[in-house]
Amino acid sequence: MEELMQTLKGQIVEQLNLQHIKPEDIGDDQPLFIEGLGLDSIDALELIVLLQQKYGIKLANPSEGPTVFKTVRSIAEYITAHKAA
Amino acid sequence: MKPLFINGASCISPQPTFGTEFPFEAKEYTGSRLSCIEPDYAPYIDPKLSRRMGRLLKYGTTAGLQALRDAGIQVPDAISTGTGFGLLDDSGKFLKNVIEAGEGVVSPTAFIQSTHNTVSSNIALAIGCHAHNNTFAHKGFSFESALVDAQMLATEDDKMANILVGAYDEVTDYSYQIMQRLGLIRSGGESNTELLKTTGRGTIAGEGAAFFVLSTQKAENTYATYRGCKLIYKPSSAQTLSEAIEAFLAGHGLDRSEASVLSGVCGDDRRDTILRAINEGLFKGNTVLAYKHLCGEYMTSSAFGMWAAVNILRTRGVPEYMLLSGTPSCPQHILICNSYKNDYSLILLSVA
Repeated sequence: MEELMQTLKGQIVEQLNLQHIKPEDIGDDQPLFIEGLGLDSIDALELIVLLQQKYGIKLANPSEGPTVFKTVRSIAEYITAHKAA
Repeated sequence: MKPLFINGASCISPQPTFGTEFPFEAKEYTGSRLSCIEPDYAPYIDPKLSRRMGRLLKYGTTAGLQALRDAGIQVPDAISTGTGFGLLDDSGKFLKNVIEAGEGVVSPTAFIQSTHNTVSSNIALAIGCHAHNNTFAHKGFSFESALVDAQMLATEDDKMANILVGAYDEVTDYSYQIMQRLGLIRSGGESNTELLKTTGRGTIAGEGAAFFVLSTQKAENTYATYRGCKLIYKPSSAQTLSEAIEAFLAGHGLDRSEASVLSGVCGDDRRDTILRAINEGLFKGNTVLAYKHLCGEYMTSSAFGMWAAVNILRTRGVPEYMLLSGTPSCPQHILICNSYKNDYSLILLSVA
């Protein structure tokens, strides 16, 4: 899980072109949207693309988005659960 | 039409035209591709937003916002822009992503930015402008169409006081390669300052963004008066174009001897035939200036020409590096005679 979260942080910085943020600046449980990193709806689309392209996971139910993309840890947990499935 | 006053102007180009005094110190390039000198965007665009923006979106938006600041206008009554290819780099990225993803799910950002009207929309979003917002993509008539749009808006609507008009284009690795393959680019490694002094096939590729605030009222910092614009598609000969120019000037109460000319010659013998004949015939003895050796050739390069012209009219000085023939005397009127392939245009400007 720890390794996956570190990889995810690097992928998020690259995919979203977060120019002034280093992967290590992102906390495991830091909110990604609004008050946290300040990501927005277009970033949510980018994260959906990231899940599909890098991990082959398609977010089947869009209403799951806010829960899945809440933090780096929640994304990692979702990937772990769905890769195992 | 009623005259419009150019109360704000801004330009980002391969020359030091942004944040400098006119006349700028001309930058010399070797090779056939000129790229914009990009400024610090932070004073104009929130870094959180700029991370998603391509190069053209950033320099186009910045030029537009600076023109408004220059005129002291927060929100204009309309925005009208022109672009030949729009955000070409993002269009290319999006199409490449589609191919690489096997037409599967692709990143939305490049797609969102790939439309031609992204710059004018982005300016409107930045300043909260909900007014008329048009982008014209009409090849070599794109910028001129935006000017005509502004002219008609100001004529038809008395409440229209300030209109932001501009144009922008970019050259990308891919578009440059295509232009090279088509034989549109000079193959030698000569300096851009030599482009119009030598004869040959091909020109130099360029890019840039220039914006203007056209107002119905004169202000303290007015650059020049915009008198009118005419579009002429595929004139059959230099004689046909000469007649059209004389009629256009006469329509504004001017004789051909009264105007200095800013010529859109691009250095390609095949494309300059008519404009060179005009410069050496109709305007023989007049001051003839040129600008495409400074910014390169692109579909909306006449916007760079207009930016240079309004600065000449305001500062009352002609930079030596723009002089093609005649003497560098202070002009009262400048007629921009531009061409991009078959699209010929005339833009008339006068001292305010």
